[in-house]
Amino acid sequence: MARLIRTEKEVEGRFEEIWLVIEEDPLQQWPAGPRDVVGRPATRQDGPQRVRGEAAYTSDLQLPGMLHTAILRSPFAHARVNRIDFAAALALPGVRGALGPGEATGLDEEAGYVGAPVAAVAADTFAQARAALDAIAVDWEELEAVLDPHEAVAREIFTAPPTRYERGDFERALAEADVVVEGTYRTSVVLHNSMETHQAVCEWVGDTLNVYISTQYIWGIRAEIAEALEMPADKVRVVCEFMGGGFGAKNGAGEYTFAAAELARRTGRPVRCALTRREENAAAGNRNATIQKLTVGARSDGTIVAFGGEFVNAVGWSGWSTMTEGPMKMLYACDNVRTVRYGAKINTPPMKAFRAPGFVEGTFGLECLVDELAAKLELDPLELRRLNYAESNDGTPYSSKGLAACYDLAQKHWDRRDEVRARSGSTWKHGVGMASQIWFGGGGPPSYAWTRVGSDGRVAVVTAMQDIGTGTRTVMAQICAEELGVPLDRVEVVLGDSARGPYATLSAGSSTVPSVGPAVRAAAADAKRQIVEIAAQRYDLEERVLDIRGGVIVSADGNLSVPLEELLGVLGDAQILGKGARGPNPTGMSVNTFGVQVAEVAVDIETGEVRVVRVAAVHDVGRIINPLGARSQVEGGIIQGVGHSLSEQRLLDPKTGRVLTTTLESYRMPTIADVPEIVCEFVDLPDEHLTSLGSKGLGEPPIVPTAAAIANAIRDATGADVHELPITREEMLRALREAEQRANAGAKETVAAR
Amino acid sequence: MPELALTVNGESRTVDAPVGTSLAQLLREHLGLTGTKIACDEGHCGACTVQIDGVPRLSCITLAHMVDGDVTTIEGLREHPLIDAFVRADAVQCGFCTPGQVVSAAALVAANPQPTADEIRHHMAGNICRCGTYPRIEEAILKWQG
Amino acid sequence: MRLVRATSVDDLDGGIPVHGGTEVVPLLRDGILEGDTLVDVRGIVPRGVDGARVGAGTTLAELAASEDVPEALREACRLAASPQLRTMSSVGGNLLQSTRCWYWRLKYPCRLHGGDVCHAREGEHREHAIFANDFCASAHPSDVAAALLALGARLRTNRRELPLEELYRLPDEGDRTTTALAPGELILELELPPADASVYLKAMDRQRWAFPQVGVAVARSGGEVRIALAGVAPVPWLLDGPGGLDSATPLPRTAWKVEVARALVRRALERVA
Repeated sequence: MARLIRTEKEVEGRFEEIWLVIEEDPLQQWPAGPRDVVGRPATRQDGPQRVRGEAAYTSDLQLPGMLHTAILRSPFAHARVNRIDFAAALALPGVRGALGPGEATGLDEEAGYVGAPVAAVAADTFAQARAALDAIAVDWEELEAVLDPHEAVAREIFTAPPTRYERGDFERALAEADVVVEGTYRTSVVLHNSMETHQAVCEWVGDTLNVYISTQYIWGIRAEIAEALEMPADKVRVVCEFMGGGFGAKNGAGEYTFAAAELARRTGRPVRCALTRREENAAAGNRNATIQKLTVGARSDGTIVAFGGEFVNAVGWSGWSTMTEGPMKMLYACDNVRTVRYGAKINTPPMKAFRAPGFVEGTFGLECLVDELAAKLELDPLELRRLNYAESNDGTPYSSKGLAACYDLAQKHWDRRDEVRARSGSTWKHGVGMASQIWFGGGGPPSYAWTRVGSDGRVAVVTAMQDIGTGTRTVMAQICAEELGVPLDRVEVVLGDSARGPYATLSAGSSTVPSVGPAVRAAAADAKRQIVEIAAQRYDLEERVLDIRGGVIVSADGNLSVPLEELLGVLGDAQILGKGARGPNPTGMSVNTFGVQVAEVAVDIETGEVRVVRVAAVHDVGRIINPLGARSQVEGGIIQGVGHSLSEQRLLDPKTGRVLTTTLESYRMPTIADVPEIVCEFVDLPDEHLTSLGSKGLGEPPIVPTAAAIANAIRDATGADVHELPITREEMLRALREAEQRANAGAKETVAAR
Repeated sequence: MPELALTVNGESRTVDAPVGTSLAQLLREHLGLTGTKIACDEGHCGACTVQIDGVPRLSCITLAHMVDGDVTTIEGLREHPLIDAFVRADAVQCGFCTPGQVVSAAALVAANPQPTADEIRHHMAGNICRCGTYPRIEEAILKWQG
Repeated sequence: MRLVRATSVDDLDGGIPVHGGTEVVPLLRDGILEGDTLVDVRGIVPRGVDGARVGAGTTLAELAASEDVPEALREACRLAASPQLRTMSSVGGNLLQSTRCWYWRLKYPCRLHGGDVCHAREGEHREHAIFANDFCASAHPSDVAAALLALGARLRTNRRELPLEELYRLPDEGDRTTTALAPGELILELELPPADASVYLKAMDRQRWAFPQVGVAVARSGGEVRIALAGVAPVPWLLDGPGGLDSATPLPRTAWKVEVARALVRRALERVA
């Protein structure tokens, strides 16, 4: 029965109180451990299509008569369009239409950063559209630009009022601490750079708008467009069967979609709007920079008594101020915590969610600080973490927490320290560091799935979710196959089309598996119940003695053993239809992921080169559905983290605010040659309070502790405290010099002992 | 000269395209061979990799009118054992870079059927994968013969 | 735009020569290079290694795989750019490539583009020059040029023969170009004097596929040792002996490059000793 509740919903670390209609999900969890299908490695069902180049991405769609759009972007960090004249542009060959500020959502009169979209032109070819941009006459009024986040904070130019948090008495606890360590940590702007750029193709068919789009959230696109164009949502069909990466940047519609929709309406032709790589780097969103002034106070036995943090999120022109203080509040048991967070609104490109937004940045600062405390106290960093283990989230119990188990599994990797350090020579120094993670990843309602079983015994799972490359299609097939008792290759998953299935959540916040997975299981169970009912009538047996295993209907006494397709042959054109919904999250509980990563690095102390040699990752995300895909998620997160840590850096011209690193040569993501050995382990126990699956998400957790583990390994190898990401040679050499000066100065402390 | 003739995946094709058209554009827009992806369109990422006479090239910065050999795209490699090797090893996430990875890998194993991990890392470094499937790609190439 | 397949150097005729196209094609698209005639010079530029002579049309991949060229050149080619770029780009074209300075690539009206400001000096210059950076702080990105400079390579063009160092010139108020190649002049061949030992060491942002932050080439021939650097000046830089780094003039954010260069020069000298 549907039930209406008032609840807190979390997406990407942002919470809001909402009304929610939910359906109970009465299925019992499967026992822990691998089952027939779930918990066993499965190759991707769409793997062959993708590898063979057959999968059709938005970028591959070529509709008859399709026009191409180019977007006019602001050359100024802050300016207003006073007047715009398209006459010359419209007269150029191939140009079919143009939109100015206010004519499509996202095209604004006020441009808040270099690259902000203000107008769009559609033409027969992209080259024609681009050429037409130069012919648009714009009367720009340049406005004052603020590029420095400190200036924004001083002048109180915020995206939202400062967020303050305090528990206990921070000042008193700090005053009573035996040891205090302070540090300022900086993380820089990094770019998603999905291989497929942001893009959409819009086509009107009668009064229905078809939107083909590279997105993480087809239902969100549908809602945004319906609202912007003031049309019924069911008249907007959003399609995304294959998409070339998102990482958080493709949760919303964006100017490219609205412009394509409006230009398609005006011209009566299908319209593509695809960002170029350079636009992608300059204007499609980023992980914002942070500045974190952190303090920890502890007793000499290692008990942490006070945490304090002042966080500046350099948000940019738009976006939101992420919970950078989250790890400091949540990762350790500490009675006295005081944090303040400022979201600086500056005239730089927009912030967009990027794989555990806020927690990646906050964990870098916090976990470096905790290691510096361990060094100060001469305590083993792992023991220090165990000592300050949080049993609850500030009083709220965790639905499950396997961090202690992660620490135990990681012990063997941590114990490699002596062996690793012994590899050090006169120039290359080796060391080991660790960092923990806490994140959300529990998902939540609503999400729905249908199952359809035909007379041939094959099963379709129908749900309008999307697989952004994480392998969720295969996971859903596994869940369905397990519940129905059929081989995996009998199950197809139909997804990626808002007109061909029920609502499913966005693929962000590590939420697809924990949100949609239980709905798929419920839908499979519904179908199974009906099949068993039919079998009971057909073979004159009681339902309770029947089961389906390996695609065969069996009776408990073993006398009946009939292939499913034989029973279902009686259906003819009839179908078994199952439906399932995601049940509620446990009330009064904090649902989180946990993990620890141990990094081994080598540092060339003469040239500042840092190599990450090995990363061992141990995570607790509840039940693992597909160990093969799960390992890929862990590796991918770590590799992105290595990029953030060492080589990726979006640079701006300090005078104009223009992005300088607009190419994939200047914005340096890791190549295959930069990848460390990666060891991946899971606690793999179902969260007994979370849904019928007990599974949490895994997309984000592995990136969270990567940078801090690397920085801590560098300290272990060299004694140098790196406080800034990325750890360029310049930063590495600076930290080495500082460590050397500290050593030379003997007892001179950079941390104040009391 | 706009008209040009070239051999793609063993078939002779004649196309009318202006000078300046890239090979990638020609393959995708004129010949409908969309397995070749364009991700940066300036020669930095490798998603557009095709082979010309067996040698990996960046089709996005190759002028179609200057192609001087037989072109092999992912569509011409669909029966290559590397396809299964990539699927088995889970060497694909979003899949957008993957056709280019396979084309590069096919050139590598043709020249060196048993490459070491170091050789793979050297020869595959021009194919960027943002999802980070690299360890799986390395495994797929190490075990490409099954 | 039209494309001419050159059968003799006369076909250049003011057109833009293209060989591998890895530099010319992107620069044409960006409007940094302008012209309506492209000249495919592959038919007229020699390709391959013949003893001490290297055809300017030889690709970097071919040189990286050649047993016949000195170690420094082989290693510089092996570590240059990406595998696909190495299969496409000719060594002659590589010597003529432009800086990766982001201001120049984004067409800021900088001094190399004829303007009167070096935007990098006042702006974001962490990857820029430590020598001769007063007028223009761009860094020359060619690994191969540094190796060939250390090796004392000579060039043959359709007009003359010259030592490699004479191919390059520092830009100044009167002439913003960085090479001394005349219009219509084409590099045809390189000649490498014998070296007893040579080495190329490269500091980069990634393990592979990155331009040099600092590249150090050292070649020893008898008692003579030549040291050349990539990524440190607007042109490939011949260092005036191991002490030459003392005269570096780093910008605030390029001081680290001097430190890196010192270490690499020391190591390279040890390797050829």
